[in-house]
Amino acid sequence: MTISSAGELLERSEPLAVLAKRLDAAQRADRGTLVLLSGEAGIGKTALARAWSTSRPGMRALWGACEALETPRPLGPMIDVAEQAAGELARLAAGDPSPAALVRALAIELRRRRTLVVLEDLHWADGATLDALRLLARRVEGVPTVVLATYRDDGLERTHPLRVLLGELPVAPSIVRLRLQPLSLAAVQQLAEERGIEPGNLYRRTRGNPFFVTEVLAAAERGGVVPETVRDAVLARAARLDAVGRRLLDMVAIVPPRAEMWLVEAMADDELNSLESCLASGMLEDDGSTVGFRHEIARVAIENAVPPEVRVTLHRRALSALSAAADRRSDAARLAHHAEAAGDSEAVVRYARLAGERAAAMRAHREAAAQFARALRSGSGLPADQRASLFESRSYECYLTDQIEEAIAARREAVRLRYELHDPLRAGDGHRWLSLLAWMAGDNHSAQAEARRAVELLEREPAGPELATAYSNLAVMRLFAYDISGTLELGARAIELADRVGELRALTDALMTVDTAELMAGSPAAGARLQRALELALEAGLEEQVARARTNLGLTALAVRDYKLADRQLAACVEYCSERDLGTWPLYIAGWRARSQLEQGHWDAAAELATTVLEHPRIAAPFRITALVVIGRLRARRGDPDVWASLDEALELARNAGELELAPVAAARAEARWLGGETAAIADETDAAVACARAHADTWIRGELLVWRRRAGIDEVAEPTAVAEPTAVAAPFAHELGGDYRAAAALWEGIGCPYEAAIARAGSPDARTARAGLAALQELGARRAAARVARTLRHRGIRDLQLGPRKATSHNPAGLTARELDVLALIAEGLRNSEIAARLFLSEKTVDHHVSSVLRKLGVSSRTKAATEATRLSIPTHSQR
Amino acid sequence: MKEYGILRRSGWRSYTDLAAALERADRVARDQIPGDVRWIRSYLLDEDRGEAGPFCIYRAFSPEAIRRHAARAGLPVDEIIAVAGTLISSHDPQNPGGWLPGGVAQATQPTKEE
Repeated sequence: MTISSAGELLERSEPLAVLAKRLDAAQRADRGTLVLLSGEAGIGKTALARAWSTSRPGMRALWGACEALETPRPLGPMIDVAEQAAGELARLAAGDPSPAALVRALAIELRRRRTLVVLEDLHWADGATLDALRLLARRVEGVPTVVLATYRDDGLERTHPLRVLLGELPVAPSIVRLRLQPLSLAAVQQLAEERGIEPGNLYRRTRGNPFFVTEVLAAAERGGVVPETVRDAVLARAARLDAVGRRLLDMVAIVPPRAEMWLVEAMADDELNSLESCLASGMLEDDGSTVGFRHEIARVAIENAVPPEVRVTLHRRALSALSAAADRRSDAARLAHHAEAAGDSEAVVRYARLAGERAAAMRAHREAAAQFARALRSGSGLPADQRASLFESRSYECYLTDQIEEAIAARREAVRLRYELHDPLRAGDGHRWLSLLAWMAGDNHSAQAEARRAVELLEREPAGPELATAYSNLAVMRLFAYDISGTLELGARAIELADRVGELRALTDALMTVDTAELMAGSPAAGARLQRALELALEAGLEEQVARARTNLGLTALAVRDYKLADRQLAACVEYCSERDLGTWPLYIAGWRARSQLEQGHWDAAAELATTVLEHPRIAAPFRITALVVIGRLRARRGDPDVWASLDEALELARNAGELELAPVAAARAEARWLGGETAAIADETDAAVACARAHADTWIRGELLVWRRRAGIDEVAEPTAVAEPTAVAAPFAHELGGDYRAAAALWEGIGCPYEAAIARAGSPDARTARAGLAALQELGARRAAARVARTLRHRGIRDLQLGPRKATSHNPAGLTARELDVLALIAEGLRNSEIAARLFLSEKTVDHHVSSVLRKLGVSSRTKAATEATRLSIPTHSQR
Repeated sequence: MKEYGILRRSGWRSYTDLAAALERADRVARDQIPGDVRWIRSYLLDEDRGEAGPFCIYRAFSPEAIRRHAARAGLPVDEIIAVAGTLISSHDPQNPGGWLPGGVAQATQPTKEE
């Protein structure tokens, strides 16, 4: 802690003030806050948290910390907190709870009694803890407390799970982000002068990092050399201890993050004699039950300096002490860590396997996968069936965390071993898994082959659940290949067998697959099976199947452009998934929700959703396609760069994912060609897709493809007859193909698609309608679409087109500038000038000026009248823009 | 990250206001979405009717990241343009009309996606 000789924490008054204010608000107004405190390592996050919690001595403080372990304890910090709270919460924590259950119980406990909560070092959090954090963020507003969550932000890559989570958190008043800054030169000077050290050099070396500064000051003599790095500073301090003391440091260093006193006593020979001097030197601290380093930086520095043979010996001692302590429930993950460092293969396998199973049960799947990998690394001597089983477990956990390549590698090993063991049932099931995994990796070809192999193998054995699942999987693969009759046939077989042998998962999946195929074939029976599948899944508690069924319901609605229903179904599905352990499912749905928002003209929301999908480091290739198509269309319409980057990737993925995905990609590419003035390319883009679409009852996709081809000058005939007719297209497209632009536009508006309505209008021979279409495109922010349309209109001789960078002025009878419109919108929402200034980042004087201008231009004398005038003239308010 | 130019025509009454807005926007970027967008520089454009607007250079992963930052920071986005590379003139300031040795300096190569 960088405390001045007066004892205060230097230069931390601002963040402390924020925390104090939020805590007051929580107590007075029952409104909770999640404070995310970040900063580089050694910046003093723990010190700040301690200062804050001790500033409220009357309040209970619950502390949890994440540990710098390769495989941390699942829900580690949350369980710490629960155990400290005691009572019901502690009981729940002792029983391997799910993140959702724990957060729910914690919220109740926090309402019961005034508490502040600190969760430290979230950059080391396991998957379950991150889930808990996500849930906490959603609930914290309704809980009268402040949760302070700290993390290191130096070296946090884009793909780091915490970083991904932080990016997904909404911008809300109940979530505050604080970042601690290094000490200023003045502060370093103050500290240095108290010790007689030259401040300039100290500041330069340490860059104001509080930990580094204190380490140097602790080790320094007057006028001494300042070490190059933090690590050197720590080692310099350690070097002042005697040999026994150094051995004690090493011992404590290899037990991350802190060592229990009883453990040190069990591991030590004579090292405990130097405990006092180590504590006195400040290198170690003791809080009564554990002893540890002042900071993780110090522990790591010492740990890395331990010679290898010594390290092995120490880990062995730790392992034997921990495993011998029968009266204490030692965490298997911890034992596995020491066993691996000690080179005790047998112990590694034993504990890692246990740790993996426990982590899996607690839904910390990333950690479970790592533990199974650890067991396999040390388990080369295990019998084949145990290795196969470990590979299967690892593969499953990798699948759940979207580590698809790793899942495939593990599954291949498992299958190979199952063949060696002459176990056709498990080998066949393995092929079925490889099929699904190959599809997720975007390799449709292998997916089909593995699916067939699974069925072939299993058909030679007595029929059972594995075969039912294999049939169901092959049915889905045939669906992706656009083989409707194959899907229906295999689906029927799957349903029959699954029902017979009671394999509910395969039964529900097959019902859903058959339903989709029937929908595509235009069969009136579609929908009934989906309902039945949902009911079965709900009854049997098959969460993944429930999610899939609800998603399919949403997609069915989306396919016919019933947006209200689609949004409701998909939102309900996301809600369902986030309360359960269905991690990446909401991401799969996000792509389709993005499409729904795009088609309704909510482009910012669409971009947000699609970007979430695309920025996720590991998502199965096929689910990227929808998001890429949305982004590609948006960029093309807006005139943003990188259109073809996204649409080319979409095409590449679609080609590998099966013919089913090609048509929507082709339609988007056709639109992008048209917008780019490359109409000649549209025929090539859409030839294959049109041929496919003929076999398929999606009248909307067929309609869109034909309309783009028409706009490119390709003439094909289409009539809006019965749905099953191969040439039928959806009504709005049919009207447009028939030349009735007005009717098309009206229909599009009725459905809720402003962009399609605008484009239809713009194609009308009537100048007024065409102009209205152009204006609507500008209103949407479709800059390039508007430019393209304007060019066409000018060719047709329509003059006097309003084009300009200010999209507002096209719908702005009072001649207000964009800024004045912003101000007016906020006046209409009732904000005062000071609030408007804050919101728009302007000075109050500027806002005053704009307000006068607005009142003058509208010809009114008061703000209220201005707001009414705005509504009367249909000037769009802030929320609509 | 890629480099983008952003045209943000909008009615700021003064360059001071505009600069303050851009700096606040930069803080929003650093605090809320670090690593998503990075502000490089802005040219303050002198527009008609006494209103100022900027042309900004940012590095970002996508045009959508730029729009998302703009929405959070209260900045408008009129047009986004991809920047392939930057050339800086090495005109010798001491010698009007002369050139520094090396001629035109290429500051950044046209970038492929990183």
